[in-house]
Amino acid sequence: MKRKGLLFYTRLYFKILAQDLKSKMSYRADFIISTIGMIFTNIAGFVSFWILFRNFSTINGWGYYEMLFLYGFSLVALTPVQCLFDNNWSLRQYVYTGDFIKYCFRPINLFFYYQSEVFDIKGLGQLAFGLGTLIYSWIKLGLGFTPLMLVKMVIFLLTASLVMVALQNAAAATCFWIQNSFYILDLVTKFKDYAKYPVTIFSKAFRFVFTFIMPIAFIAYYPSLIILRPDEVELLSWLSPLIAVVFFFISYKIWMFGAMKYNGTGS
Amino acid sequence: MAPVIDIKNITKEFKVLNRREGLAGSIKDLFSRDYKIVKAVDNVTMSIEQGEIVGYLGPNGAGKSTTIKMMTGVLEPTSGEILVNGRLPYKNRSKNAQNIGVVFGQRSQLWWALPLVESFKLLKDIYQISDEQYDGMMKLYQSLVDIEPLLHKPVRQMSLGQRTLSDILAAFLHDPKIVFLDEPTIGLDVSMKAKIRTLIQALNKEKNTTVILTTHDMGDVDALCRRIVIIDKGKMLYDNDISHLKGFFGSYRTLKIRVDGDLKKESEQIAKEFPVCKVSADDEWISILVDEAKITVMEVLTKLQKERRVRDMQLEEISTEDVIKKIYEEGVE
Repeated sequence: MKRKGLLFYTRLYFKILAQDLKSKMSYRADFIISTIGMIFTNIAGFVSFWILFRNFSTINGWGYYEMLFLYGFSLVALTPVQCLFDNNWSLRQYVYTGDFIKYCFRPINLFFYYQSEVFDIKGLGQLAFGLGTLIYSWIKLGLGFTPLMLVKMVIFLLTASLVMVALQNAAAATCFWIQNSFYILDLVTKFKDYAKYPVTIFSKAFRFVFTFIMPIAFIAYYPSLIILRPDEVELLSWLSPLIAVVFFFISYKIWMFGAMKYNGTGS
Repeated sequence: MAPVIDIKNITKEFKVLNRREGLAGSIKDLFSRDYKIVKAVDNVTMSIEQGEIVGYLGPNGAGKSTTIKMMTGVLEPTSGEILVNGRLPYKNRSKNAQNIGVVFGQRSQLWWALPLVESFKLLKDIYQISDEQYDGMMKLYQSLVDIEPLLHKPVRQMSLGQRTLSDILAAFLHDPKIVFLDEPTIGLDVSMKAKIRTLIQALNKEKNTTVILTTHDMGDVDALCRRIVIIDKGKMLYDNDISHLKGFFGSYRTLKIRVDGDLKKESEQIAKEFPVCKVSADDEWISILVDEAKITVMEVLTKLQKERRVRDMQLEEISTEDVIKKIYEEGVE
């Protein structure tokens, strides 16, 4: 048996993805309805954002376009967790009914195998919305453009994504120990809505929570400072890629630890 | 040759909280440290050779699934030794997975939305099956079952029977040394059951794959297994040939006859004539349980015919089902 490296997994992932997309496209009504649903969800998000700014011109020194930038940034950053790790939402059900055992018999990485099973296509619409918002606000803010900025942008978007993925992994993995872990996953998801606001608008206690305990401030605020306010960058912003990698690694280990000690129900 | 599965004195214990009743009880349970140890598998030893089909039987909750989980590497035994293909399955879960196939009766492991052939192609990549081996396997499948209509059907649109069939084919695809089949015929109709049994037998013969079969359907056992292992309450009760099992309870056969006159009275009379036999009667038949070690069925029948006119008769062999039932209820002794 050959060693299964990154190349093996990448190729396998794209094969599974291609199959999955093919089968999704074949259910046209399903596809159209979920696309429409996704568009409305995003529009609703924008409307509430717009109403907010009809009433306040700035929030704690943050202007409309800056906030829009954060909003777009968080939408893009949340795309990977939506598209690639959506199966985390079903984990609790699989574990509860004992169906999770079916993932335990393949000679490939269990975490990979489990997550690869679902690709949520709705996330792609979110990506388009997010990118549009980001570019629009970028132009309106007159930030200018250099290749270096693009590189930074990509790195910090990845950072932000990784943080959210890590948060969700850790939250989903609680179901290996707790029966009713849905609330934990739901809580984390609700909290991520705060990711699109600058963490400085919150009280000190919440700022601490959002930075160190449930680090959603890393989803948009800290990384986007690098582009948005280059002369105000906090140390935490520069450290965020490293923090994200470490955090993701820890969440992966927690997930795998839970999965390996899983022993299923009777049959 | 070394056995493919070698188990020595394995035991698996689970810690179970002693639960109390009622709401107050559940609140107390939150803080309780009152655990008891349950032995799901208790000192089981067996060794299985390449190419065997072993029926692994036992009533619900006997510890079958736990044993299978230990063999597949999902569970680590509390004590004892277990070697599958010469490896510790728990330590080498991924490597072990390369050499085993698993089918759980009603839990499909195939990609739900994909047509079967696409699932096969993904499995080909996952198990790194060579083109040659894959094509060979597909040819074999085509010769054994009518696979063509299944190949392009998404798994979720299949009937339970088709899905089970597909799952079995998928489990054999990478030519594993051992395949575990957990109740493969559960919920299937008679003709599908027969089809699946034939398929399992053919694959076992063709590929010399070891098959561990757990089932509650004695039809499966009769059709497939030469050797059976029975476990109950975690303890091994029986491990031997199936033919040996029937001899185990003496060579019983049931002779059923229909005679003129009142069956009740006749049966009482017959019971007096043959004190070594157990006689009972219902509305249609008089049943005589004959232990052939003591008296043959032919002797009984000849004697009966001298006294009375036997209008009709039936001979019933003791079925595997009866024997197993007896073992579950009374144990081996």
